[in-house]
Amino acid sequence: MTEASAQVGFHQPGSYQRHMKWLLVVPLVIFWVIFFVIPVGLMFATSFNSQIIGQVAVTSDLTLDNYIRFFSRSNYLLAAWRSVLLAIVVSVITLIVAYPMAYLIAKTENQARNTFLLILVLSAMQLDMVIRLYGMMVILGDNGLINQMLAGLGLIKVDEPIQFMYNFLGVVLGLVQFALPFMILTLMGVIAGIDPSLEEAARSLGASRRRAFLRVTLPASMPGILSGSLLVFALSISSYIVPALMGGFRVGVLPIHIFQQVAEGARFQFGATISVILFILSAAAVATYLRVGSSKSGGLA
Amino acid sequence: MGKKIPLPMMILAILGFCYMLLPIVIVVLAGLTAGEFLTFPPKGLSFRWVIAFLQSEKYLSSFFFSFKLALMTMVISTILGTAVALFLSRAQFVGRGAMRAFFLSPVVLPGVVIGFALYAFFISTGMGISRTIWGLSIGHILYSTPYVIGTVGAALASYNVSLEEAARSLGASPLRAFRKVTLPNIAQGIQAGSIFAFIVSFGQFEVSLFLSAPNSEPLPIAMYNSLRYKFDPSAAAAGIFAITLVIASVLLTNRLVNIRRLLEKQ
Repeated sequence: MTEASAQVGFHQPGSYQRHMKWLLVVPLVIFWVIFFVIPVGLMFATSFNSQIIGQVAVTSDLTLDNYIRFFSRSNYLLAAWRSVLLAIVVSVITLIVAYPMAYLIAKTENQARNTFLLILVLSAMQLDMVIRLYGMMVILGDNGLINQMLAGLGLIKVDEPIQFMYNFLGVVLGLVQFALPFMILTLMGVIAGIDPSLEEAARSLGASRRRAFLRVTLPASMPGILSGSLLVFALSISSYIVPALMGGFRVGVLPIHIFQQVAEGARFQFGATISVILFILSAAAVATYLRVGSSKSGGLA
Repeated sequence: MGKKIPLPMMILAILGFCYMLLPIVIVVLAGLTAGEFLTFPPKGLSFRWVIAFLQSEKYLSSFFFSFKLALMTMVISTILGTAVALFLSRAQFVGRGAMRAFFLSPVVLPGVVIGFALYAFFISTGMGISRTIWGLSIGHILYSTPYVIGTVGAALASYNVSLEEAARSLGASPLRAFRKVTLPNIAQGIQAGSIFAFIVSFGQFEVSLFLSAPNSEPLPIAMYNSLRYKFDPSAAAAGIFAITLVIASVLLTNRLVNIRRLLEKQ
């Protein structure tokens, strides 16, 4: 210990260290402020500027025109509604698909097997979404494996494939693929935390296995169900790549509109307006998620 | 195991795993197909697309571009994230939870929006890094640092601070106590966190969309651009390398830290 720190420590125990601690957090705070808070703040400001094609910088001329435009044009309102609906549908389906998977992982006591399942989930989660969608498109496309199989069996004509893609269905299927690992990881922790003796008690009191599950295990996993669904809502309403590839730009959701306004039309102000609306929708879901049970659910996200 | 899990639940879980993993298997098969396109039944296996990928200027350079970008992102977010994880594990103050949420929040916010905000910010401030690897890396750091904070935070949660205090009471300087006692104890957590940071950056698409330039694209963007027009099996072959990289990293992570504990207790 140096003399200086010993001296400070003598007057105020630990205060020297306490101040040093703050130095650890300063670099990231600066980074987050410069590259996250300020850009997002400027984006909010830009959304209140009048629309000038090609103009990027924020000006002092404030107007609500962009918001009026958004809320008075049916195609933008429809896109917002479609985005919300899509995120809700995906949350519900992902929950149904993920629950048995999370249950299986939570109840697998064999360590090696449990770790193996987790490695599968984590690998799927970390793998680039474009690669996973490539696989989905090969399976579900008009010339895809399913249509080829159905045609081979004579169930459909080759030139009349079933449309699994380039529509709402395709986007839902792709987003479920995207969101599954997040939902599994959130549910898993909660299910593992349920005291097994609760279900046993219900069973010993004469409840059938299904009844014990529906009345005890399922309600006890409610915090995980709620926070998992909110997380999936936030993730799927934000996705650009899934609607772009699985919807073939035919399912116009908010992220697609943002890209079109900015990259194709150089309309930064209106692009910013749609961005703000999307940002608020997803941040609201995230904020609720944090309230609902950050303490009860697991997961890295 | 069979006794505890009801059969219908088991079947549904297996179907779920098939849904989650089948597309990945299909990409591997598509990259190894002998035909022009993956058909059912498959035409047989060959390495022609893998070779095509290894010879293609476009995918190979994107692969290495992504690799370089992910390394840059990894180094910066590991340093910044580890420091914050240390801070959060030691400091007790009102608003600590809010601060943690603030640092983790980009992960769940729309990547396209953050990418757009950064893109406009870079242009309007004239920083000259829009559409460069630095601009991209800044966007990626926002998404990979939270994983470092989470992973290192988990390693710190199971570490006993009194060890460091003991070293200090025996006369070690703060820096020395940290380097000799704390760091070795959380080193594996830091390594695991940096692997996460690498992989998150390597697979990042949404943020890169606005920030990448046509001549130097990260792999996901290059694959997306080709996938919009046709199924190029050499893109699937590139995918095989990416899949291998991800699985290897997750296996390595599992060696470094107990991923069960990491995921179950946060």
